[in-house]
Parts: sequence; structure tokens; C-alpha cells
Amino acid sequence: MTNGWVDIKNTDMMLIMGGNPAENHPCGFKWPIEAKRQRNAKMIVVDPRFTRTAATADLFLQIRSGADIVFLGGFIKYAIDNGRIAKDYLLHYTNAAFIIHEGFELPEDGLFSGWDGTTYDKSTWVYETKGGADSPAYDFTLEHPRCVFQLLKKHFSRYTPEMVERITGIARDQFLKAADLFTSIRKDGDMKKAATIIYAVGWTQHSFGTQIIRTAAILQLLMGNVGRAGGGVNALRGHSNIQGATDMAGVFDILPGYLKMPVPADADFKTYVDRITPKASKPAPWESFNYWSNTSKFAVSFLKAMFGDAATKQNDWAFHYLPKIDRRYSWAEIWDDMYAGHIKGLLAFGMNGVAIGPNAQKNIDALKKAEWLVVCEIYPDETSEFWRAPGTTPEQMKQIGTTVYRLPGAGFAEKDGTFVNSARWLQWKNVAVPPPGQAKLDQEILARIFLRVRELYQKDGGKFPDPVLHAAWNYTDPHNPSLSEVAKEINGRALADLPETPVKAGQQLPGFGLLRDDGTTSSGNWLYCGSWTEAGAQMQRRGTDDPSGLGVYPNWAWSWPANRRVLYNRASCDPEGRPWDPERKQIWWNESLQRWVGSDVPDFKADSPPKDHMGPFIMNPEGVGRLFAPLADGPFPEHYEPTESPVANPLHPNQSSSPMAKKFKSALDKYGTAAEGYNIICTTYRLTEHYHYWTKNNPMNVQLVPEPFIEIPVELADDLGVRGGEPLKVTSARGHYIAKAMVTRRIKPMTIDGKKTYQIGLPIHWGYRGIVEDDGRTALTLANMLSPAVTDPNAFTPEFKGFLVKVEKV
Amino acid sequence: MSSNLRIQKISAHPGPVPGAGAQRQQTVAKLIDTTTCIGCKACEVACLEWNDLPFRETVFQNSYQTMPETAWNYWNLIKFTEHNREDGTFQWLMRKDQCMHCADPGCLAACPADGAIVQYQNGIVDFQQDYCIGCQYCVTGCPFNIPRFNPESKKMFKCTLCTDRVSQGLEPACIKACPTGCLHFGTKDDMKALAETRAQQLREHSGFAHAGVYDPPGVGGTSVIYVLHDVTNPEVYGGLPSNPRIPWSVRIWKGPLKWLGNLAIVGGLIGVTLHYLRFGPKDVEGDK
Amino acid sequence: MKLLRYTLVERIIHWLAAIAYMYVLLTGLAFYSPHLYWIATLLGSGPTSRYWHPWVALVFLASIAWMLRAWIADMRITAADRAWGKAMNHYVRNEDEDLPPIDRFNLGQKYFFWAMLWASIALLVSGAVLWFPEKIPWSLRAVRYIAVLVHVGSALVTIGAFIIHVYMGTAVVRGGFTSIIRGEVSAAWAKTHHRLWYERIVKRDNLGPAHRAR
Repeated sequence: MTNGWVDIKNTDMMLIMGGNPAENHPCGFKWPIEAKRQRNAKMIVVDPRFTRTAATADLFLQIRSGADIVFLGGFIKYAIDNGRIAKDYLLHYTNAAFIIHEGFELPEDGLFSGWDGTTYDKSTWVYETKGGADSPAYDFTLEHPRCVFQLLKKHFSRYTPEMVERITGIARDQFLKAADLFTSIRKDGDMKKAATIIYAVGWTQHSFGTQIIRTAAILQLLMGNVGRAGGGVNALRGHSNIQGATDMAGVFDILPGYLKMPVPADADFKTYVDRITPKASKPAPWESFNYWSNTSKFAVSFLKAMFGDAATKQNDWAFHYLPKIDRRYSWAEIWDDMYAGHIKGLLAFGMNGVAIGPNAQKNIDALKKAEWLVVCEIYPDETSEFWRAPGTTPEQMKQIGTTVYRLPGAGFAEKDGTFVNSARWLQWKNVAVPPPGQAKLDQEILARIFLRVRELYQKDGGKFPDPVLHAAWNYTDPHNPSLSEVAKEINGRALADLPETPVKAGQQLPGFGLLRDDGTTSSGNWLYCGSWTEAGAQMQRRGTDDPSGLGVYPNWAWSWPANRRVLYNRASCDPEGRPWDPERKQIWWNESLQRWVGSDVPDFKADSPPKDHMGPFIMNPEGVGRLFAPLADGPFPEHYEPTESPVANPLHPNQSSSPMAKKFKSALDKYGTAAEGYNIICTTYRLTEHYHYWTKNNPMNVQLVPEPFIEIPVELADDLGVRGGEPLKVTSARGHYIAKAMVTRRIKPMTIDGKKTYQIGLPIHWGYRGIVEDDGRTALTLANMLSPAVTDPNAFTPEFKGFLVKVEKV
Repeated sequence: MSSNLRIQKISAHPGPVPGAGAQRQQTVAKLIDTTTCIGCKACEVACLEWNDLPFRETVFQNSYQTMPETAWNYWNLIKFTEHNREDGTFQWLMRKDQCMHCADPGCLAACPADGAIVQYQNGIVDFQQDYCIGCQYCVTGCPFNIPRFNPESKKMFKCTLCTDRVSQGLEPACIKACPTGCLHFGTKDDMKALAETRAQQLREHSGFAHAGVYDPPGVGGTSVIYVLHDVTNPEVYGGLPSNPRIPWSVRIWKGPLKWLGNLAIVGGLIGVTLHYLRFGPKDVEGDK
Repeated sequence: MKLLRYTLVERIIHWLAAIAYMYVLLTGLAFYSPHLYWIATLLGSGPTSRYWHPWVALVFLASIAWMLRAWIADMRITAADRAWGKAMNHYVRNEDEDLPPIDRFNLGQKYFFWAMLWASIALLVSGAVLWFPEKIPWSLRAVRYIAVLVHVGSALVTIGAFIIHVYMGTAVVRGGFTSIIRGEVSAAWAKTHHRLWYERIVKRDNLGPAHRAR
């Protein structure tokens, strides 16, 4: 989230799309409700199904799964055509005025310039420079035909209401109603109001998911909503600590704090840091903070945290201990590699890889080829029992040579530590009950494994023992490190007295501003620096004072970065440093103090006066928000059809789906087409009554929704001659799923490019282990046996939404 | 029965209510804003947890609704309704169903067991299982279809409005658990004002011209009130009665019929006595 | 000379009905009025009374059913009854000598029988609804509403009939009570109150001392 949960209460307008917060974030959903109640805020909900979020909306539109870019693109066109954009904001805070390289071409035929048949050469996706590589050319009149704004306008000119209707299935008048409502906050150039966009995995789980979010970001920049109270682009994180997992590098291509992972070409630390440190690049009269210029400080401090005294200037801070990634090791790739026999073993901690999918049968078959599998869980799950997946005969079971180790883990209430929520708050929690029986805490299990592995290296040596032997492991109880010690280590401390500061050797660091690249500081994650200082555990704070009334709660827990609640909050003021809305003053320039002050922590160089024109987007080397941003699949978002789509892309039928989407080529990776009879769009989702694949083991949740079901429109039910409660079989090119039909009016048939099209919805929560499963009351199929392994080229998220199936009565 | 709760009405109780008028308590009320309910069922779970009610096996019934009706050990149920409005728009209505705690409770009127149903001065209507005889007259008396019979213990059960919590100054468990703030608890006056404000907002800003507050006068008002998108059509919210009243037959039965019957019985006894005094027995001659 | 008016089985069934009715009456009265709720306490407890009320009622209904089968022939209203009925004011004033002769039961007894029978049927049907109100769908809740009135109304009918029955059988018609205890009546009693029956019996049994009533 650029903003935070509580901040949603400040909004005037909500677009909730690609997410279903009422069901999946019911506690956070109090804030959208609060905005409606206290501010008469309007809520627009766009979803393939009429969800429980839609039930509280002012306007609901049923969209075809995967057509989001067209819908948002239509909004962008509408906002530009009707002058409902934030002109000053656009000019000063975005790269709208920047001029793009001459050879750049928009994807009229579905491809941007630079396509070589397999990938993009991005050399034309850059700014034209003027008087030096770090100084882009610009046109503040926004009239240059190659300025970002004109290109953007041209790009989205194809996203007409007619095209929106053809592709999304949303009637033109309904679309226009929504576009008018959403952009109404910028009517007549008024800058006071703010609109927020709220999304979740309904956007990310597409082969073009990142670009959907980009489209939302562009819309928000155009309308001047980023950085503002009640504005922003807000990702709702699905699991209690998924934000923390990402911050702490639970992703293959980053290190903690979003430092990029080294690659084999990074011969030494300097090459690595030079590669990943951006150079300021901004119009000559402007300033740019370019905060990532501090990358080397973050990286050295991280290496000191990792390897302690073993990281010295002489050995390049032990840089060579870090693994170098030679290719992608994302989720779907792991399973593909295992299926291909490259990966021999898997540690599965607190996740059910088989059930998560995609293409679950491939994951099951991949595990059959592994030598060993360690599963740490609180219940027996589909992964630890992959060998008894439905359809496996006793004969086949005997052939499976995988050794499975099951470790009893501790549930969330049985351990302390932090959750990092969608609002980037680190919130400490205490233990409610001790783990039962032989169950152990995660850190104890991991520590014991680590110490045994280290022992083996010490005894037997090995190919490259140094990273393991020299890893810092300075915990009071090495076999069971306390999480407060780990949290303090992540925050970081001074390793020597820091000159010109009061910080002495051994003290906890007060913030990342003090990190050094000379080996005198250590910090496991620079973004979390400040969370556990000499003043104590900031993440444990429970202060409920809110002086501004904007829901900042500066003394509640701790928000990264630097306890800042709304990111880019410099943009909440006009170029002169005055809040756009005097009613919602977040920060402002105080002329007498010559500082930025306010209720939130300024996301800015605190003493940079407005006249210096430093850009508010300090993490970008330009200092401004990017309307034009070169990602793997294009610098502007373009609508591509899902990999499995009932229609050819009406914008460019010859380049229907994303050229950069990654498909897999194993024997089990099959993709269906409408011509083969797969002509119904299927989307998967979660229910408020269940949590992923866990709560099927809890009688309370099972009582609330006892059985798997398949939501289908009344009209489709009539076509199939099926009534509510009767079993249905859904088949994709990869597998099938059987559950009872839920016949509903909440999903309506749609007309997509002139074709009558049905969508169905599939909650994912069941499998072959659980209460009703063990009772024999379900078909024991997994929803993700249907979903395809196709991934987004930027975030590598699989396309769990909007694939093709056929449906029949059992 | 908690010490902080004072009784106002007692079922089938001859004579005055002990302690009545000794102290005034403010009427409490639960406000359920159906326009912000997200059907998450947290209230259902909280009700079970707080009242220590057991899990039950349910079956899928083509609905998100946990079960068709409340049960003797399931007092709080969200009713889901797919509703096409007259203007062609579609609504998915969710209404938390539970005892309404009527000011003029039909269950209490119908109850024949002394003290089995009480109404506290704060408006809560509570079943006292110790005194309940399991006759189920309350089922007939209730215009909201709420009291439920436990065939094992032969006692009646329903939502207590968490008397145990309320008497200690806490809100009911369902209110505590509600994540969106769709549920509120306070004095009836405050809740009524809050509800009216919300209804007005819905009328003026959300295009629900008939939004209003459901506090049915037919039962003297209730200690559970709803904000509805369309107060003229409460039936669509999973059968919320549009004009609930204590059934006419219960009124007749517990009113005129009782007195008529008493009169007839007493009249009959007096009649035969007079007859005997006037005519005496029939003697058969020669049968001495 | 003694005549057998009620066989042993008839007497047993009568008293079974009487006891069952008394129980159902008393428990019913307890539920009927808060002022009589103490009866329920006296009879065990509220829940006990409530529990047995319908079961004992079934016993009562069974005995009624038996009576119906056994006495239906005797309970048909005849021309003689109608003649008797026209002169009923004499009966009330104990001017029995002015009454036309009748058979085994007089019109009052027959009315009592039929009133109890029909009221019992009404009590049975409405009682079933009250016994299992949750089995009546909400959409048919009017049935519940009608049932409470029918149950109370019919019960009041039986109470009225019951008062007269007990009064007549014990206080007014001397010998009547003995007849339902011991089964026998004197010839004079029979001749006075049920002449046609008397004559029928005497004739059938060839005037000998009565041993059998029928």
C-alpha cells in the first residue's frame, strides 16, 4: 500500500477492483465503510462476480476476468478527454513532460518497438537526453508529440467506451457512468478531493498482472491522487505477513529491503553496487534526491548483519558468499525444475505447494520425482500427502521414492514476532498459547537444521562451506533464537562509535539515515531500520493518539520506512509546499523553520525548500512518478488477452496474448482453446469463511461453509439442466474439479466481442485432507488442478484468474 | 440472572413484579446497519464462542447462508438474499437474524410458566431455562420466528443479547466481533438517532429513497433495530415481517378468552350449586 | 332387584378416562392461568406437568375411542330422546314423572358424550400443533394461532360438560355414582330414569333377577 488501511477513511472515492476486501480483508474493510459513513465517499466495485464487497458498493460493474487494463485504460482516456486530470501535479510530479527516444513505437499491432521475436530490446524505451546522460529532454507545455503525456494520450486513445464494452463486457453506459463518477473528483480542476484504488490478487494473478497495477498507478498520477490522504494505489496483502515476507526477500530476485540479487556478472561488490545503484536523471532545473544512491550503505550493512566479522572491506564485505542468480527461480519455475528432475528436495514451511498450484497435478508429479520433502505444518496437508493424491493407485504409490519428513510446526498464535500488514506496519504480537505436543517454533526448527548443516560442513568440508561457516549466529540460545533478538538484528546496530552522531558502538540504530558503507553499521533490512531502537521496540508500541485526525496514529506500532504512514506524501502539497486540501494536512513546508513538518513523517529531504523543486518520488532517480516506466513487457500497459481466452484480442488479434508471458513446456503444461470446447471463463477466489487450505481442518470454519462449490450463472445452469446443490464437473486442459453447483444471479452472462460468454467462480479452499474430505463428503479434487502455469514477466505470478474450462453435469 | 439487571416483566406471574420501579435503567439496543453488513459471519462465530455453543455439521444449500434458520444452539444467523429491485438493479442483502427483544414481547405474553421469560428494565428479553417448562407457546407468540426448542433438555433457547456481558458493562459478543462497524450497541435513544442519521444519509447520498429504520411499533419497538435500504419492504431481507404484532389469537387467548373462560367455569360451578339448593337430588321412589 | 348397568370393562374405562381427564384438566388449568400455575407445582413441577400433559391426554383419547366403539349404538339420538328433550324442563325441576320414557342414556348424557368426543378430537388436533409447533412451517403459522384458540375453546367446552356431568352423576341422580362404581342399579331406579332400557332388559332377560344389562 502506498497509504494504509486506516487512511482509506480519508477518501472521497474508491475504486475496488481485482480485490474483494469485504470477504478477504473484513477487518480492514471497516475503513472503506468509514469513508462512506463519515465522508459520503463513493465506492465503485468492479469484479467478475457480485461479491460481498459489491453488496456495499454504490456502483457495481461485472467485468470479464482479465480485461482490467482496458477498463482502467478507458478511465485514463476519459479523464484526459474530459480534462479531469491534475495538471500541476502531472507537470511537476510525474514524467509527463519528459521526451521519449525517437525510435519508440506504441503497440498498435500489439508489440512495442524493439521486439526481436523472443524478447524486447528496450533501447528505445528511454528518455531523450539533452546535455548529458543524466538530463532528460522535456517539454513543460506537454505538447511535444514524443513527450510522455502525448504518447500516453495516443496510446490510450484506442481504449474507447466501445472498445471497453467489446473487451470487458461492461455496457458502454455503465462504463461511462463509472468513469464519470470516478473522475468527478477532479471536476473543474478541483484538487481538494482524493480517490483511492484498492486491489489484491485479482489483479496480480494474470500474465499481465503488473501492468494492470501500472495502469492504476498511471490513472492515480494523472489525477494527482498519489501521496495524498485518501488516495494512492493500495495493494491488499492476502496473508497476515505476506508484506513482511516480501520485505524480507521471500522472493528469489531480491535481498531484504528490495536490494537486487547479485548475478554471475557481478564480479565483485563494486560491480554489483554500481549495477544496482541508479544515477539521478532529471530535468536540469529540478532536484532529485535519488534515495537509492545510498544502496551501498544498505548493502554493506546487510552483509555485516549476515556475516558479522567475516565481512570485511578486504574480502569485499563477503559479497561472494551471496548466491548469484543465473536465471529465474520463481514459484512456478521451482516446480517446473523439480518436475524436470533438477531439484531434488524441498523444504515446505507454512505453505501447501500442491494445493497452491498452479497446475497442481504437475506439482504432485514433481514431488514424486524429488528425493526428499520436508513439510513443517500444523495439519497434515496435501503437500505432505502428495503420494496419496486422488487417482494414485497402490501400485503407483509403491513406485514413489520420495522420503517425506513431517515436522510439527507452531501456529500463528503459538509464537511471538511481528506481522507486517498491508499498511507496512510492523506489529509485534505475543504468544497466546504454547505449541502443543512436540510442535516447535519455526525459528527453532530452522536453527537446528542450520546448526546441523554447519556441523556437517565443519566435519566433512564441502564445495563452498564459507557462507554457512561464517554466517553470523549470535543468539543467546543458538538452537532457538528469540525473535526479539532477530528483530533487533534486522533493525541493526552500530559496530563502532558513529562520528558526528550520539550513537555509540553496540547501540541499536535509530534509523537508516545512519547506515554506513564502511563496515561500522549492520542492518538485516535497511527498511526496518528504526523499528527496534535504543528507545525500545517501536513495533510493540500501542499509542492511540492521532493528533491530526487523519488516522496517522504515529505511536501505534511502526511503519516502514521511517515510521512514515503515507508514501510520497510530499505530493500531498502543491509545488509551493501547501497542502492540496487544507482540510487534510499531512505535511507542509514551514517557511520559518525552513523544514517540512506535519503529522506524518515527510517522505522527502526534510530541509529541501519548494523552490529547489526536488521531486516527491525520491526513490526514482528522476524524482517524479513514472507514467512511462519500462517493465519487461512494455513501458505503457497494453491489454493482452489471458493465455486462455475465448476471443482474439480485439485490439490486435494477431498478438492476442502477452508476448512476454511465460508458458511452460513440460508434458503436463497444456493450454486449452475455445475451439477445443473450453469456452467458459473460470476465475478462482477465496471465501471470508476460510483461510487458504488450513481452515478446512477447523470445525468452526467448516460449519460456516461446509463444502466446496462452483458458482455458476442461472442461465448456464438452465443450459446444463442443473440445479443448485447438484454436482458439476469443471474441466480444463490440465485437469478436472468436481463440486456442487451454486446457481446464482450474482454472475451474469456477458457479451464479449459479440459472443455470449459465461464466467464461473471457484473458491479454492478444499483438497484431499480436511474434515469433510476425510469424511468422504467431497470429490477430493483441487481447484488448482485446473489453473495454468503461465506467469507474469515482471512479478512471475501465475495466472490463477481467467482461464478456460468446460462445465458438465456429473 | 445478573445482579445488575433489574426485571421489568415476568411471564405468567400473578401480582406485581418484585422490585419494579426501584431503579430506572436505560433501554439498550443493538443497531444493525444492513447497508454495511458484509455477511462475514464473525457475529455468528462470536455468538457460538461466547455462549459456548457447539459446532454443528452443516450442508451446502446453494447459499452462503450457514443454515436455513437459527437453532436452539445457534442464535445468530446471517440471512443472505439475492434481490432484484424494481429499478432493475441487483442487491445481495445480508441481515443478521436473531431475537429482536421486543418491548412488548409475544413470547412473554404467551408463556404460561411463571418466571420462564423475563424482560429486564433495559429492554432485554431473556429466557430463564430453570423455569421453562418446554411448552413452546413462545414459538407461537413470537412474530419473528425466534424461540427454538431443545428436544433433549425440553427447554427453549434464543439470543440473550449477552445479558452476562451487558450486565457487566460490555457490549454483546456479536457487536464486539463485527469488523465493519455495521453493528452498534448503546442506549435505545442513541441507537435510534444513529440509525436515523444513517438512513438519512442513505436517502440523500446513496440513492436509497426508501431507506429507513426498522423499529416495528406493532411490538412496541424492539431492542434490536435495523437500518434497511428499503424500509417499505422488509420482507425481502430473509423474511423480516413488515408489521410484526403479537398474534391476534395469542392476544385473544391471553386476554378476553381467559376471562370469558374463567367466568364460564365459575358460572358453571355457581349454577350447579344453585340448582342443587333449589331442586336437590332426584330420589327414586321405593328405592330407599 | 338389581340390574347390571355398566360392565366391569366399561367401569374401568370410565375411570381411566376420568382420571386421565382430571390430570389433563388440572395441568391444563395450570398452563391456562398464572393464578393456577401452583397446580403444576403441586403435580410435580412445571416441566413434569408439561411433559405428561400430552401423553396422558393420549390415554384419555384412547379411552374416549374405546367408549365410542362400545357405546355408539346406545348414543344415537332417537325419536324418544327428542320427545324427552322437549320435556327437559321437567327433568331439570326433578319432575321426572312427567318425562317420556327413554332408553339406556338420556339426551343429556348423549349430548355430554358427543360434546366430549368432538371436543377431544379438536383438542387432539390442536394439541398436536401445540406439541410440535416448530414442525408447522413459518408460512403456515396461522395454523398455530388457530390451534391455541381451538385448544382453549374446546377445553372450556369439556370443562362445562364435565361440571354438569359430575354434578348430575354424584349430587343429583342418586344411584348414578354407585352404578359407575359397582355397575348395578335398582329396578326402581332403572324404571324411573331409563324405562325403555329397563323394559328391554327385563324382556330380554325374561324378567328374572337381573344379571346382565345387555
